[in-house]
Amino acid sequence: MIDRREQALTYLLLGVFSLIALVPIAGILLTALQAPGEVASFGAFNGVHLENFATAWDEGNFSQYLRSSVIVGVSVVVLSTLLSILAGYAFGMMRFRGDQALFYLFLLGLMVPLESTVVPLYYDLRDLGLTDTYAALIFPQVGVSVAFGTFWMRAFFRSVPRSLVEAARLDGSSSWSTLWRVVLPVGRPAVLTMMVLVFMWTWNEFLLALVMVSDESLRTAPLGLAFFSGRNTTDFALLAAGSVIVATPVVVLYVFLQRHFIRGMLSGAVKG
Amino acid sequence: MTALAPPGEPRRIAYLYLLPGLVIFGAFVLAPLAHSAWLSLFSWDGVTPGAWTGLDNYQAIVSDPRLRAAFLHAFVLVGFYAVLPIAIGLLLAAAMARTRVRGLALFRTVLFLPQVIALVVVAVMWRMIYAPDGGLINEGLRAIGLGGLAQNWLGSFSLALPSVGLIGTWVMYGLAMVLFTAGVQKISPSLYDAARMDGAGPVREFFAVTLPGLRNEIAVALTLTTIQALRSFDLVYITTGGGPGDSTSVPAFEVYNRAFRGGDVGAASAIGVCIAALIFVLTLLINRIAEREAAR
Amino acid sequence: MASVSFESVSKRFDAVEAVRELTLAAADGEFLVLVGPSGSGKTTALRMLAGLESVSEGEIRIGERVVNRVAPRARDIAMVFQDYALYPQMTVYDNLAFALRRRKTPKERIDEQVRRAAAALELDELLERKPGQLSGGQQQRVALGRALVRDPQVFLMDEPLSNLDAKLRVQTRGEIKRLQKEIGTTTVYVTHDQVEAMTMGDRIAVMNHGRLEQVGTPAELYDEPANVFVAGFVGSPGMSFVPAAALGLDLGVPGETIVGVRPEHARTWAEGDSLLGPLDGQAQYVEALGRETFIGVRHDDETRLVLCVEGRSAVQPGDSVTYGLVREGLRFFDPDSGHARRRVRSRPC
Repeated sequence: MIDRREQALTYLLLGVFSLIALVPIAGILLTALQAPGEVASFGAFNGVHLENFATAWDEGNFSQYLRSSVIVGVSVVVLSTLLSILAGYAFGMMRFRGDQALFYLFLLGLMVPLESTVVPLYYDLRDLGLTDTYAALIFPQVGVSVAFGTFWMRAFFRSVPRSLVEAARLDGSSSWSTLWRVVLPVGRPAVLTMMVLVFMWTWNEFLLALVMVSDESLRTAPLGLAFFSGRNTTDFALLAAGSVIVATPVVVLYVFLQRHFIRGMLSGAVKG
Repeated sequence: MTALAPPGEPRRIAYLYLLPGLVIFGAFVLAPLAHSAWLSLFSWDGVTPGAWTGLDNYQAIVSDPRLRAAFLHAFVLVGFYAVLPIAIGLLLAAAMARTRVRGLALFRTVLFLPQVIALVVVAVMWRMIYAPDGGLINEGLRAIGLGGLAQNWLGSFSLALPSVGLIGTWVMYGLAMVLFTAGVQKISPSLYDAARMDGAGPVREFFAVTLPGLRNEIAVALTLTTIQALRSFDLVYITTGGGPGDSTSVPAFEVYNRAFRGGDVGAASAIGVCIAALIFVLTLLINRIAEREAAR
Repeated sequence: MASVSFESVSKRFDAVEAVRELTLAAADGEFLVLVGPSGSGKTTALRMLAGLESVSEGEIRIGERVVNRVAPRARDIAMVFQDYALYPQMTVYDNLAFALRRRKTPKERIDEQVRRAAAALELDELLERKPGQLSGGQQQRVALGRALVRDPQVFLMDEPLSNLDAKLRVQTRGEIKRLQKEIGTTTVYVTHDQVEAMTMGDRIAVMNHGRLEQVGTPAELYDEPANVFVAGFVGSPGMSFVPAAALGLDLGVPGETIVGVRPEHARTWAEGDSLLGPLDGQAQYVEALGRETFIGVRHDDETRLVLCVEGRSAVQPGDSVTYGLVREGLRFFDPDSGHARRRVRSRPC
């Protein structure tokens, strides 16, 4: 029996909390559109002014910050996707000595946050002269993403029917050709989900960039925003514009691929 | 592996597939973790040679009131990042248990949105919302004549931490809601019917059917949100910088502070190791409890 | 073309013995069926032949070559899987061509062989489709085509018809058999369906609990079952088993001997029919199939038999029935071992 009251309550809850989720976001959009130079006021609407975005982009150097984030993001996604597919394939489809122990090692890595490793990473990379390079931002994040990605791809590979792999083996397919020609084509959604999540986590990463990067030209978007907000504490409109620029790429990706985002994060993704 | 492998089945080549991922993972995650543990046994400023101090850094976590406070604050944040969102999610689940909802996909998209926005952006956003002048909250209060309630939310010794906590709640409740709405739809309606026939009211139904049915989802939500609370750095750095005073200090912020501003790499490493250990223990605990409940 | 042989082959999975000392051979060009209930080891035996499972003991030969440690791809065999295992993201053409491409066969040869196999299985129209767009029957033919294209020495088939509906199954059965006769390739075929086995096999190997119960032509298995299991497994409705003493007839065998009677050898009593009997019982159920009628009869508390009557019968459930047995149709089995006893012939056939 569908209880009218319960239904009304449900819609109410959904509506209220959706609103609460949207209000700050709508507010920041409105704020970014405010006339530049006016008295700071969050969420007030006084016309549509796009100058703030232009100012943030050029004077605020956000074009540079975005470029940096794209370079790092794409690199991390490409590398970690490749490595995760290979490792996940081994764990998911092959039996070998030590597979249990090695997998637990990856699982362990899933629980180690960057906050716990960023300090030695800094000093080690400093000794190698690699701080203030894209490599310092890319490789640690590939490391963490591979832990998640291996776990994720292994789950996919385990879901593939054995008979498919056996048929390929009988047809003379090597493990390599079976992976790329037979099994992976079926897993496009799973791979896409992984790529999308890794991109989001990489794009949004702040602490690593804060520690590794002092050269302004290498700043990633969140780091750039942090410095920007330090310089413009009262200019809400400008700050809002910068924020919108930083958040937009991932949000746009999210809007088009939400099913992947949500499905991926709900499957117990333990990175966040 | 004692059984003989069928001929042609890939066995040893697996190591080759694993190698690249394992190397990078080992070099950039496992090795630093071990290195962190090593560094935590020293007192080092990052420049001059360090001195062996054994477990002193760990002892300081317990004895130093400022470090104790930081970890305490982390647990307070767990209440805001994890407990509150899960409660909200369960509220929704309880209401939704036996209803059909149209347009759930749209709600899901909106509710989940805060999860994809960079925390730095969220922090900047909310700093403006909390701003004493021009901020959404204070201006809103003034607009409805409650100007007397307006505060310096992020600048008050007593209100700063809850204010930051509520930002976390805002970020996390969508995750819990989406998880639980999906989970609740998987619960078989016949369980509710049986409960109804046994004379259970809505409250009983919730505890007897909904809650157990959401066991796995609750475990996942608890794990994800608790980890976020314990690692929390971005929000604190941008909104309060640990202040006012130490009222919003958190372990991850102390790691950064002590390593790169305070010249005490050993202490920072120890805190970092503790964060990892806490996450590990809590994850294990949550999953163990979930399994035990499942067995019942 | 090649022969296939198992020599004392055993397979253990941890503590479980899936196949026990199987010794079996298929001659070149023969259609050998492995049949048995689930868990009988027939699929495991096939998979060992394919190289998908390792052999715990014994030797498997294809032709003269011992292939225990030879990789599947080098055995020159092709297999049709129960779920077809078609490559889902490839067209039918690519599915058929896959193995040939792995072998670096020149493109013209590939095209020629793919089209020939497609023609043989009427897949010409479907070459550009993907498996997801095909019906169950069409998918099954693609699976067959994939094996055909390889032109192997041996075909292996693992219950390829079990996912088809009954009518299609019967039709495809005939097609496979016809195809095999045309091509003449040795085929080892696994099924749990004894009707399939009996209609398709040149010879049938009955397996149970990992052991080979009997191997022989369909006629041999039907007329001369080696033990109770084979006797009861082959034929539908199956053979009825009765202790000799319960019948109270002079059969020339000890009382505990198990007597096996097929329905066609038990019919309602008619004088002058030279039947053994008369025996009395009560009809439990009646299955009128038009061409014949099966009557389940309760002889006494322990003994049940199935009679077969041509055409229709007036007997109703609950009626008393008087019936007799055809002497030549009786089979005798040792009560302890289940093995067949040599028959006591009262007079030459």
